[in-house]
Amino acid sequence: MSNILKREVVFALTGVVTVLMFVEYFFFPQDWIVTSTIRTWAVIIYNISLGLGGIRLIQQHIMGTQRRRENWQFSALFLVAFVIMFLTGMWGYLGTGVATNNGIYSWLFNNVYTPLGSTAYAITGFYIFSAAYRAFRARNLDAALMLIAGCFVILSNAPVGEVIWSGIPVIGEWFRFVGQVPGMRVFGVVGALGMIAYGFRALLGKERGFYAGGAEE
Amino acid sequence: MSDQNIFDKLQNIDRRVFYWVLFITLMVPFVRPIGLPVKVVQNTRDLYLGITGDNVKPGDIVIMNFGYGVSAWSECAPGFTVCAKALLREGARIVFMGSQYDVELSFNKLKNDAKADFATKEYGVDYVFLGYFTGGESAIAQLATDAWTVYPADHYRTSVSDIPMMQDFHGWQDITLVLSSDTGDVGSYFLRQWQAAHGTKLAEIGIAMNGSTDYPYYLAGNYFGLSIGSRGGAELEVLIGEPGEATTAMDSINASHLLIVLAVIVANVGYLLSRRQA
Repeated sequence: MSNILKREVVFALTGVVTVLMFVEYFFFPQDWIVTSTIRTWAVIIYNISLGLGGIRLIQQHIMGTQRRRENWQFSALFLVAFVIMFLTGMWGYLGTGVATNNGIYSWLFNNVYTPLGSTAYAITGFYIFSAAYRAFRARNLDAALMLIAGCFVILSNAPVGEVIWSGIPVIGEWFRFVGQVPGMRVFGVVGALGMIAYGFRALLGKERGFYAGGAEE
Repeated sequence: MSDQNIFDKLQNIDRRVFYWVLFITLMVPFVRPIGLPVKVVQNTRDLYLGITGDNVKPGDIVIMNFGYGVSAWSECAPGFTVCAKALLREGARIVFMGSQYDVELSFNKLKNDAKADFATKEYGVDYVFLGYFTGGESAIAQLATDAWTVYPADHYRTSVSDIPMMQDFHGWQDITLVLSSDTGDVGSYFLRQWQAAHGTKLAEIGIAMNGSTDYPYYLAGNYFGLSIGSRGGAELEVLIGEPGEATTAMDSINASHLLIVLAVIVANVGYLLSRRQA
């Protein structure tokens, strides 16, 4: 029974939903109540999965802290931060309907989360700088061409490129629009064809990897 | 280490040296701004023209999606702000929504950055903030067919049935155009579920990294316009005639980009000369 629930029912449901979505896309472009309802369910299920993800995350960090796993201090910090944000957010939400109306929650969001978020993103710039220095070597003709193209694109993205030489933005734009677009189109089309093939395999029951961890048949 | 010649040393400069050099270089423009002129490229101009003039009439409803979080403010927020200002000045009504959980912070920043434009507008009549949505592409598809099922209430828990502006927004038929600003995939959800399916006008205000992914869609006409990274934001600021954060950031972009190219040249000079010597 459990095998039927785990595999066959999931497989049948996926197949039916896929067919319905195809039918809607090609035959009911305005609206179709059946697929509209299914999509609403999908959004609800998505929200439930977020809650489950949160619970699983807490379980993992509680276990990590209890068993003093490697870097357990970060797990403990996470739990403390989670509890504070959850309680203050709920306080604001239950009182006014908006979490950020709680002063502590709002303060943490504005003065801890915001600077940390900006810093985390900005730090990547330093890594990219160092990585570019280390990795971009003209070891062969292909690498040299890529390097030269990269330099033109980088400089054309900054106004200083035009100041250095008026041809830089022209060449950089050529690389962006003529040089790379065909390649990206190929990636896009091949990816889409792959998705179609994958969808058909899933519909035919040949691609079961995501059904309760079932192996491919 | 002591056996290394100058060319080897050029290839193996300690990474901390680069961190400091970049840090100091980025600081210089803040102390002494350079202010080089910013040239507007066609994809940015198309975006701006698509949201101004005859392309937007007073009362039109436009969706502006915050597909970026706090971490991408520097790249996405300036362009997004200019677009919001331009649309509000055209008399368009704007539906703000977001796929990032910190969307409220981004919305508050937008309201602060475009304070004068929002001051003359009334919440619920001229604009509405629906807040965070989950559900990925399914939610975007459902938004096209029945928006009220995705958002039964706005961010402040007011039922959409009590919001005057929402009486005119039920699905894709009611929307003139969509602007999505993303670090991720939400723009492509709109592309598949709105633009391709219903022909809704769509434009993207993306981070620089997404540029290569977005160009093919712009050239194919799926996006009527495209703003790429801080540079795109600075170009939009030029077009609206109000220099802002992105224009300021251009000095740092100049310094950092130039520095990266110089570092690559130094490393390669060392590499090529040491190879020749060997």
